Amino acid sequence: MRKYLYIYKSEVISSLSYVLNIVIGIFSYLLLIFIFFNLWNYIYSDSSDTINGYTIGDMIWYISITEILWSVAGGRKFCRKICDDVRSGNITYNINKPYSYIGYLLSSHLGEVTIKFIIYFISAIIVGFIFVGSFPEITALSIIGTIISMILAIIINSLFIIFIGLVSFYIEDANPLYWLYSKFLLVVGTLFPIEIFPEGIQGFLKLSPIYVITYGPAKLFVDFSVEKFLNIIIAQIIYIGISFGLCKILYKKGVRKLNVNGG
Amino acid sequence: MLTAVKNQIKVALLSTKYGLMREMTNKVTFIMDVTFMILNNASFIIQWIILYSLKDDIGGYTFKQVLLLWGIAASTYGFAHFSFKKAFSISDTINNGKLDSYLVQPKNVLISCITSDIQVSAIGDILYGYIMLLIYGITIQNFILFSLLSISGGLIVVSIAVILGSLSFWIGKSDSIADTGNDLMVKFATYPDGIFKGITKILLFTLIPVGITTYMPVWIMTEFNITYMSIVLASSAFFIFTAFSIFNRGLKRYSSSNLMISKI
Amino acid sequence: MAVIEAKGLKKEFKVKVKEKGIKGSLKSILRPKYKIVKAVNGIDFNVEEGEIIAFIGPNGAGKSTTIKMLTGILYPSSGEMKVLDIDPTKNRKKLAYKIGTVFGQKEQLWMHLTPYDNFKFFSAIYDIPEKEAEERIENFIKVFELEKFVNTPVRNLSLGQRIRAEIVASLIHEPKVLFLDEPTIGLDPIVKDNIRKLIKKMNKELNTTILLTSHDVSDIEKLCKRVIIINNGEIVLDDSMQNLKYNYLNKKILELRLKDKINFEKEEGIDVIKEKGTNLKLELDTRIKSISDVLKLIDPENIIDINISNTPLEEIISDIYKEERK
Repeated sequence: MRKYLYIYKSEVISSLSYVLNIVIGIFSYLLLIFIFFNLWNYIYSDSSDTINGYTIGDMIWYISITEILWSVAGGRKFCRKICDDVRSGNITYNINKPYSYIGYLLSSHLGEVTIKFIIYFISAIIVGFIFVGSFPEITALSIIGTIISMILAIIINSLFIIFIGLVSFYIEDANPLYWLYSKFLLVVGTLFPIEIFPEGIQGFLKLSPIYVITYGPAKLFVDFSVEKFLNIIIAQIIYIGISFGLCKILYKKGVRKLNVNGG
Repeated sequence: MLTAVKNQIKVALLSTKYGLMREMTNKVTFIMDVTFMILNNASFIIQWIILYSLKDDIGGYTFKQVLLLWGIAASTYGFAHFSFKKAFSISDTINNGKLDSYLVQPKNVLISCITSDIQVSAIGDILYGYIMLLIYGITIQNFILFSLLSISGGLIVVSIAVILGSLSFWIGKSDSIADTGNDLMVKFATYPDGIFKGITKILLFTLIPVGITTYMPVWIMTEFNITYMSIVLASSAFFIFTAFSIFNRGLKRYSSSNLMISKI
Repeated sequence: MAVIEAKGLKKEFKVKVKEKGIKGSLKSILRPKYKIVKAVNGIDFNVEEGEIIAFIGPNGAGKSTTIKMLTGILYPSSGEMKVLDIDPTKNRKKLAYKIGTVFGQKEQLWMHLTPYDNFKFFSAIYDIPEKEAEERIENFIKVFELEKFVNTPVRNLSLGQRIRAEIVASLIHEPKVLFLDEPTIGLDPIVKDNIRKLIKKMNKELNTTILLTSHDVSDIEKLCKRVIIINNGEIVLDDSMQNLKYNYLNKKILELRLKDKINFEKEEGIDVIKEKGTNLKLELDTRIKSISDVLKLIDPENIIDINISNTPLEEIISDIYKEERK
């Protein structure tokens, strides 16, 4: 475990030199929040209205949180790196190293996004407050709960990206797959809460990764309850277990295939 | 003068053709790039279906008009990125001293530079634009108007990218400013103008001229209006002119400057 | 007729000075400090029509900056210049039709296209009518022997073939003057020789005036009749190759590892620079003793290792300075 912590720490330190880029990148994030602020203002005729249980303030806070999770992932670059590693055969160099490739990828990617996450989270809180004018009902417990669930969400998302990247053992180019996944996450999982969708597909969405990657943490921030917290955290832990296992299996099979074919 | 323009266009078209030939060498990747861009744009229809299930009118637009808005935004953006890909990375070109090879050619430096490469996925944007037009209802007039507005809007988008990228002549690295500006244009272009009010609205028709590249074209397509049409075309000319003059001024500075931009 | 004239040409650059550490970085953002670098510091020279002339100098001597000024990319800080009677600063485009440029290994060619298609592209840039372009290309293929690879995509060519294609592409508009910036940098000896032959041929066949730069004298020994050596932005020497050879390129360094010691102290034209047991470093004056003369003095059986090299350019330059002071 110590070596992964070390990999994580080195990545955090090296990401410090990109702080300026991160700050500039926030602009894009704020822009989307700003546009949705206008959009919801138009749709809600009155600030006391609720749409499927959400007030306008809830809606803006919801997207502020989900959009952090979506922006911070940095998945395109990460997925491409894994694909390139697999395609070029570089991945074979990792086989003899005394660490798990999956563990290495996960810890280095988490290290890369940590600073970004912190900066985005702080600016989201400030800007959200400026737009909405008030916080949802929050307590120390709900804040901690939200943050824990956000961290777990980022881990799950990273594992999904790793899994997609590793699919390139089997197909020419896995980048389009990642792209489909990220689009799904953005359009279905980030912009609106699940409750806004037609009831028929809500059940499906609650089983999909959206529930644990974007919806869960944002829901906790907007409308916290211990019961919801436990529900979401347990779902997240199950997801981590499954996706980690899947990555392991795919990696093992993939490497064996690579060895047979000689890269 | 006329032959010079003709020759310049010939070189630009040849560049585009060669770029296309290069990208087509891998047919699978080519088709994938185009298809995925179409799917990418299409995925946002979900967003609008959801929004229109909440309210029948958003920002004064009907659902069909939003599709048209997306169509114009996509083909405008697509035309700009397909034909003038390098306009969006002009800051890098300046900073890496890569303008030199255009400077020794007897052609316009800016045009040669920005037409020197193409972006394949932008073809998907253009196609998506016309698919939306098809859904909206296509007629010959519509088709011509749509194409004309996409080109004039695209030229504004390119001009803005050139203006922002040219800041590199003065302040060194300006790529993040240019990227931010270009992102601003794209994001606003895909939402109805009616949801914005006050200062934002003013900005959208001046500093961030999405109003001219996208909103006005939607108005014109919905109901033809000669005033709006003139505004669009005049603005297009204005932005092109501004882009050329700022770039050329920067270029002079690049040549005569005693600041070391490129390596000796 | 002088094709290139330069008088008191100067180019100064302001370079940001950055101090070490985070504090230094902050300081350089808030209050940047600059130092002036005189890249080219007042040079005068003329080049006659049909000449092949070499600009020699160490890295950073100001060779490329000079070429960039002569081609209109950079404007001089002061001084005057004319290329083919045109002021590059004022009439860049007009000049561009009449000159050709090849900047080292910077790729101008489309990698996925064949040299033939690339030539067609460059003909379009220089407004050469289709038919005329085709004739010219056919002619170039014959003259410069490109038959073997003219229809192979550039990315599949060897480095030497690529550079040949690169140079020929810059000739498509039959420029009167050709600027070659480090055309042979990083190439192996055989390819270098090939490029040299090509340069010589185009000088002869098309009467192209050629100005090339290099940081290695031996590169252009066989190519140029005249050499300009430039250092720290100033012309150190402007002389015929013959004189340069006789006066400064007359020395070779010979490093020897022997089994048994040989005494060279008394031999004329040989200077023992270093001696450590049976390891010797000699400097020979080739006017007095050629390399083969020296080798005759050594029994081949006695040699473990041998290394022959030219005197480095920096040393030649300092020799020239010393000469001037006398």
